[in-house]
Amino acid sequence: MLKFIAKRAANYVVMLYVAISFTYFMASAFMTPRSNYESRTPRPPQASIERTLDLANINDHTSVFVRYWHWLTNIVTKWDWGLSPSLESVNKALAPRILASTELVTLSTVLSIVLGVALGIYTAQRQYHWQDRLFSTLATFFLVIPSAVLALMIVLIAITVNDAAGFRIFYVTGLSSYSGDNLLLRFGDFLQHIILPTISLTLLGMVSYHLTQRTYLLDEMHADYVRTARSKGLTRKQAIRRHALRASLIPTGVNVAFSIASVFTGAVITESIFAINGLGRYFITAINNNDINASVAIAAFGGACTLVGALLADIFSAWLDPRIKMS
Amino acid sequence: MMNAHKKNKQMDSILTEGNGEIIHDDILANELREAHGPKGAPQGDPIMQVRDLHVSFATEAGVCRAVRGVNFDLWRGRTLGIVGESGSGKSVTALSLIGLLDDNAKVEGSIRMNGVELIGRSDEEMSTIRGENIAMVFQDPLSALTPMFTIGDQIAESLLTHHPDMPKDKVHDRCVELLGLVGIPQPEERLKSFPHEFSGGMRQRVMIAIAIANEPDVIIADEPTTALDVTIQAQILEVLAKAQKETGAAVVLITHDLGVVAGAADDILVMYAGRPVERASIDDLFEKPSMPYTMGLLGAVPKPHVAANQRLVPIQGNPPSLVDIPSGCPFSPRCPLATPECSLEEPNLEPVDDSQGHLASCRRLKEIVDKDLKYTDVFPIPDAVRPQWAEMPRDQRPVTLDVEHLVKHFPLKGGGMFRRTVGKVAAVDDVTFSIRQGETLALVGESGSGKSTTLMEIMNLMKPEAGRITVLGHDLAEIKNRAERKELRKDLQIIFQDPMSSLDPRMPIYDVLAEPLRAQHWNKDDINHRVGELMELVGLNPDYVDRFPSQFSGGQRQRISIARALATDPKVLLLDEPIASLDVSIQAGVINLLEDLQAKLKISYLFVAHDLAVIRHISDRVAVMYLGQVVELGETQEVFTHPRHPYTKALLSAIPVPDPKIERTRSRIILSGDMPSPAENFAGCRFASRCPIKPTLSEEQRKMCESKRPVLTGDELNDTQFACHFPLDVDEAAF
Repeated sequence: MLKFIAKRAANYVVMLYVAISFTYFMASAFMTPRSNYESRTPRPPQASIERTLDLANINDHTSVFVRYWHWLTNIVTKWDWGLSPSLESVNKALAPRILASTELVTLSTVLSIVLGVALGIYTAQRQYHWQDRLFSTLATFFLVIPSAVLALMIVLIAITVNDAAGFRIFYVTGLSSYSGDNLLLRFGDFLQHIILPTISLTLLGMVSYHLTQRTYLLDEMHADYVRTARSKGLTRKQAIRRHALRASLIPTGVNVAFSIASVFTGAVITESIFAINGLGRYFITAINNNDINASVAIAAFGGACTLVGALLADIFSAWLDPRIKMS
Repeated sequence: MMNAHKKNKQMDSILTEGNGEIIHDDILANELREAHGPKGAPQGDPIMQVRDLHVSFATEAGVCRAVRGVNFDLWRGRTLGIVGESGSGKSVTALSLIGLLDDNAKVEGSIRMNGVELIGRSDEEMSTIRGENIAMVFQDPLSALTPMFTIGDQIAESLLTHHPDMPKDKVHDRCVELLGLVGIPQPEERLKSFPHEFSGGMRQRVMIAIAIANEPDVIIADEPTTALDVTIQAQILEVLAKAQKETGAAVVLITHDLGVVAGAADDILVMYAGRPVERASIDDLFEKPSMPYTMGLLGAVPKPHVAANQRLVPIQGNPPSLVDIPSGCPFSPRCPLATPECSLEEPNLEPVDDSQGHLASCRRLKEIVDKDLKYTDVFPIPDAVRPQWAEMPRDQRPVTLDVEHLVKHFPLKGGGMFRRTVGKVAAVDDVTFSIRQGETLALVGESGSGKSTTLMEIMNLMKPEAGRITVLGHDLAEIKNRAERKELRKDLQIIFQDPMSSLDPRMPIYDVLAEPLRAQHWNKDDINHRVGELMELVGLNPDYVDRFPSQFSGGQRQRISIARALATDPKVLLLDEPIASLDVSIQAGVINLLEDLQAKLKISYLFVAHDLAVIRHISDRVAVMYLGQVVELGETQEVFTHPRHPYTKALLSAIPVPDPKIERTRSRIILSGDMPSPAENFAGCRFASRCPIKPTLSEEQRKMCESKRPVLTGDELNDTQFACHFPLDVDEAAF
């Protein structure tokens, strides 16, 4: 078991290294941070442009391999992911944004998985009954609604509620506004901020889990071995719970694991509407600013998330299904 | 898992409500007179009573009336065989007994156990008796066990569901006992195995162990051996009989195979279009079938134990759709005895022989009984087309396909990043046979013996890995370019097993038939003409060419496949289990068609099948395969009467014969265990591990079996060739 995980992990580290290096060369080839300075009015002196670019290790007059080697040594020896064109540390910019994104997406991800899977199981067992039809219709609604529209609707409703209540229950921007030392108040303040984006992200996220889990369970529910279980004297519900459910969770588990990266970087619209400085917005800004080092760092974070997810998916599947060998 | 069972304490069994009251009616009285079977007439009270059972499903096409008025009683220790083709309602009947029908099924009538009515019970109520009083063995053992749980857990579950307080060690002991009972070696260790580590036959044994765990009163076996090979089928039928003896349960054996019921059942119920059409004790039914459908069914099956000297008698047409059952007798459109009056009213079961409780439903039953009509009277045996070329002795006809020492190995890849080759699977290892013009050679063997791989190697038209394939005088190793290969392909065609999936559902029949001709660059007029010709050749209306495959029945679709294969006028036809997926009454028609085509067109057939009865009927010569090797090769008649290889003999003895009297007196050679994996390395004889002869040999001879690989040789006793160091004598009869 441990050997299996170690082997897989080693494989993934190699893959990650290749992927990140590839991203570095691609980003260096496509992004021209030089233009950030050359298009400025008044144009800064040429020597100063060169010096700034050299300092950030993004000067296209230096060989890309030299830059790559310099960049790689800094990461390996100092865990320094480099500087942006404006000479700000990528590490310093990235850390709070990862934190903000984590705060934003953790709760909603957990909620959307739990609620989505539970709803999928519930509706699968009531296929074609009114409960199934109702939730499927709702799911289709949330599937087609653009996330910006949904988020704005939630904001509008929250403002209406705030107005009706006469004081501020929900904050519609940012992640915190309390600056005191009381931990309890701080937490309450956080909840007031996080609740709206969480609702928005959960509604959007759970839909796909609901629909796929429903399909997976329906497939398994009609399997011959569920009928065998019933012939032993289990009721239909018991047979589904003990026999069909386990097999149907395997593909969902894999879906969850591989969606981790996109959860972190994909909440751009929600971040924008609720004015949260998360990874998604940072990624977009980095690309717009020709920020090679930041883009690569975010891609690396996404890659690491994906591979951690893949490893978790491997372990999860092997744990559920004995036919997958752990050796 | 264990704890979950304890929490879910079941409600009390619904059977405790009953007082064991029995319905005494004419049906029961009649069944009590059924005495012509191995066990004589039933004794005592029945354990289960089914009266006027009706099941219907609401489908998109309309109401599907799957079961329409079934009556029977079950006695402990007796076996009721329910026989019928697909769509006859036999499986639906079985599932309604145990309450496992889909939700959209509407069940009416009465099913009583211990005087308690079971119809209309909720899932929870039925679950108190399922597994405890009534158990079921399903058709496909590969999918019937939960892949994620161990065998031990799955057997224990059936115990703990009904006896949640059973102590852990008792459960364990009972599981070991059950696995031992169904013949699984080292039961103690195998408890921790997962289903995928077991073969199909072993999994079916586990299913039987689960079914008998709580010593039920009724065991329903729904086609329990249909998915298994013939030697494994023999093992499973024996285990089932043992399980019945051990538990004293009543068994309902549902099958389409008349051979299987002949050996295992006491009473028979024949079903057609959802209704019972004949019921009798086993001997009466096979001796005096009285309903024309039963007669036809018995006439349509090839007999493995007698030489094929007459043609099979197909039943014309197809079973009716259960959504739209014709008025009157549902069999009348296919019945040779039918008169216009038959379609007026549906006949009921009437006594054939009151003293024996033999019933049949036919409007002209009195006539049949009075005139003592046999199936040969009802279904006249069609004359065979005598080929004009048959006078020419075999050895003067040219060889069309010659295979010598063919070998095909598949590499076995290891895991890890580089997927190194860690071994090989010898799928085909030394296959030798030759077919002459107008001759049928059957390739027989169990699944995994390499039959299909052999066919694919021939169809490839490539140089084989080792050995030699010669098609119509062309050595495949010497074919140089694609053009030559394409030219040869015209003469070599293949027909697959499943006519459902081997025809493109989005292609009209015209295109299906025209495609091979277009590939050979025929012009449009010739194709038009040829397509019409082909349709007539296989007995289909040429006007149907614009229909799609889904508009045809299984038998018709297989005729289309045959027509497609014949399009380019091939000299050799490879047939991969061409009739295995068809119902018995349809099979006969396709077999006859193949025989006629051969007589007309002088084609050679390489016929792959696992059904030995069919092979005895259709083939001139037979090659028996075991683990990739041809172990016996000779004239069909000679191989079937005087098998020389011990495996052939075991294979022949495992075939169930559709004749109860012969079945009862035959002694079976039950091979131990399963076929070993072809990935193993065998120094000596591949059959040695299971050979029933080997233990009787001397120490020295046994060493020879284990160390020296036998090759095909013959001797002076007969013309058959065999790959065995110590062949059987020719006086060893197989049946």
